[in-house]
Amino acid sequence: MATPNTASEGPVRQDLTDDERRRVFAADAMPYVDQLFGAAMRYTRNRADAEDLVQDAMAKAYASFHQYRPGTNLRAWLYRVLTTTYINRYRKLQRRPQEVSADGVRDNLDGAGDFSLFDRLDGATSPSAEFEVMQKLPTDAVRDALDDLPEQFRTAVYLADVEGFSYAEIAEIMDTPIGTVMSRLHRGRSALQKALYGHALRYGLIQRPFDPPLVGESDQENHG
Amino acid sequence: MSDHCDALLERLETFLDGECPQDVHRVVEEHLRLCPPCLDRADFERKLRALVATRCRDAAPPGLVNTIMAQLQLNQPA
Repeated sequence: MATPNTASEGPVRQDLTDDERRRVFAADAMPYVDQLFGAAMRYTRNRADAEDLVQDAMAKAYASFHQYRPGTNLRAWLYRVLTTTYINRYRKLQRRPQEVSADGVRDNLDGAGDFSLFDRLDGATSPSAEFEVMQKLPTDAVRDALDDLPEQFRTAVYLADVEGFSYAEIAEIMDTPIGTVMSRLHRGRSALQKALYGHALRYGLIQRPFDPPLVGESDQENHG
Repeated sequence: MSDHCDALLERLETFLDGECPQDVHRVVEEHLRLCPPCLDRADFERKLRALVATRCRDAAPPGLVNTIMAQLQLNQPA
């Protein structure tokens, strides 16, 4: 069973009758469906799979609701069920042409180092106009920049920057040490900024500078 | 760019994540109060995250909650 194992940490909720479980789950867990769908969209990157994933995850969460300890973080618990379900079931099934020819995406991550969008835009635009440039990016370009990150980086950045989870919560959701979360966030955000920079160039929002300051691009070996 | 700024740069991400220890958090805050360029940078990073968050949200299709309620028979009385 691919659900979070919290049994070792304290008493679990085994005392609910079926009727109580139904009522508590409907009242406490169902309100998260909307948010979970947002996460599922970023994981699967298409609506049909996202709907299936949320349905599957909620069925799993309901079936193993006795393992959820009352008073602990239900939202994080549900995200963990969703994330585990995605990893176990969907990831292997997904065929995305984008990932087959993902060289550019890889380059963004591997070459990102400490890429700083702020440093790139500073000087490429008029002072204090840096953010206005990014606001002009079409929504799809921003989504593509996030969606094109390799999965583990996309998930970490999404959970932190869109959902506002803490390092500890993300570590629990992704079942990984906090140090790994921090490193994925750092590299993921650098790659995201590099991708956004690329989109801004493509949309003609900024000009390619003649002498790009190659911040972070000379120390790739430190990030491999 | 001073040494203080370099030190800030290293901690900015953790600071913006709200994950710094309290004493470090205070030091970063103090530096941002005194250093307009670093404040510009911090503001940019903050706004950029907010922009990504706003643009990357999707609402569930209207029927999804009901579909799941029915699938799990959550509406039915005992």
